[in-house]
Amino acid sequence: MVVFPPTTPAELVALVIRIITSHTFITVVVFPGFIHLTVVVIFLTWYERKLLARIQLRIGPLYAGGPGGLFQPLADGVKLIFKEVMIPYKASKPLFLGIPVLLVFLSALPFAVIPFGQHWVIANIDVGLVFVFAMTSLFPSMILLFAWASNSKYPFLGGLRSLFQQVAYEIPMWISTLSIVLLAGSLNLVDIVRAQQKIWFIVPAFLSFVVFFISIMAELERLPFDLPEAEPELVAGWYTEASGAIFMLIFMGLYMKLYLMSSLVTVLFLGGWWGPTILPQPVWFILKSLIVATFIIIPRGVYPRIRVDMLIKIGWTRLLIIALANVFLTIILIGTGFMTAWGI
Amino acid sequence: MVSLAIPSDIAFVILTVVTITAAIMALHAKELIYGAVSLAVSFIGIAGFFALLDAPYLAMLQIAIYVGAIVVLILFTIMLVRRDQAPEIDEQTNSESPVGLWLAGLLALAISGVVALAGASLPTGEPPANLQVSDLGPVLTSQYPVPLIVLALLLSASLLGALVLAKVER
Repeated sequence: MVVFPPTTPAELVALVIRIITSHTFITVVVFPGFIHLTVVVIFLTWYERKLLARIQLRIGPLYAGGPGGLFQPLADGVKLIFKEVMIPYKASKPLFLGIPVLLVFLSALPFAVIPFGQHWVIANIDVGLVFVFAMTSLFPSMILLFAWASNSKYPFLGGLRSLFQQVAYEIPMWISTLSIVLLAGSLNLVDIVRAQQKIWFIVPAFLSFVVFFISIMAELERLPFDLPEAEPELVAGWYTEASGAIFMLIFMGLYMKLYLMSSLVTVLFLGGWWGPTILPQPVWFILKSLIVATFIIIPRGVYPRIRVDMLIKIGWTRLLIIALANVFLTIILIGTGFMTAWGI
Repeated sequence: MVSLAIPSDIAFVILTVVTITAAIMALHAKELIYGAVSLAVSFIGIAGFFALLDAPYLAMLQIAIYVGAIVVLILFTIMLVRRDQAPEIDEQTNSESPVGLWLAGLLALAISGVVALAGASLPTGEPPANLQVSDLGPVLTSQYPVPLIVLALLLSASLLGALVLAKVER
């Protein structure tokens, strides 16, 4: 019996149990909320190190315990928390300390609308896709502000590079998702996944997939687009001055953004939670997202970095035009009846 | 008169305080960067108003365009202009002058006068049913095609203008 407000201890216990076992509490705190995100982010840091090591014929983390040094990220985390936070001379303290927290917050917030299963979504809102883009569009300004707050020349150069790179690639990224919205007839991410029950959108919208994938590589500052953190020129790019817990927060934010973008690819192109029913829906979703993340990580061990002028040229004169042409192609295909809107 | 019983009322008061405080801070910040940050906070507050008014699509676009693009543009401009090139802020401008307050009071008086006069003809009763995002497209293309085309022409004209300006500078 649940009574509010509780008067006896037994009622209080009943109320607490009711809250903890409620669907809202579980989706926000356990899955797909905080605990799941933290675990996946910790796993991704280890996974990237191990994968790159294998590509380059090294061994990677080994000694920290667990299979294959799986506890290495935990050891790193403990080390970073106990290290001193160095604040550069004449740095802007509120921005320098506040923005790393905001970065984690901003990259975790869009997971509220990402559907991990038919019922595993925190907020099923009608403008899910626009919400994700609104949140990711705040990243460039955060990065630029952090770079400025560091009061040092390498972070500042990295911040400016990051800004023009992300602004240039945001536009093809938005436009390439237009054909998905046309095909699904909705901005709601749950509806978009539901429309892919028969065929994944990567088949009818392959061109969009290519443009979107290249754009998110640039948005995530992954090789070959990692100019903002080019090690030989800029030390570590826009987070050169970050240390200790501040560095850990930035790192968490970046890996959470990597997971966010790979799950967005899964939602838009790879059929979200759909898969043979031998495994539950969230397992399929996480599996697909991790595979996408693998393909985002692999180029780091394989390709060299491209030049600034190449970066800008690819963004503004190739991707943008392909994305726009693709929108018209989709409209023509739907208009002539080769594809039907609202699911194929 | 105003009862704070409904959660949306409380949210409205908080949003109003945040938006106006941030706007005032944006005007009074000594460092231009902090001014831009306060402006961003103010824009996010306005997005909150849109969300309260059952217009989530507008709220998201407000964040994406105003905070994600316009504030970035302002920040970029501030950082590209070196401090020794920046125009001196004239300390003689009467920031303490009460003219602004008088004007604000006058405006408030005018608005409340108009609302009081129009009180009888203001729409009453239930607001229209929740408008879906997908309803916007048909309305724009079937009910308002001419304004849509004019807007498109205006946007392409501004784009061409920007291209011409960039060409001249080279």
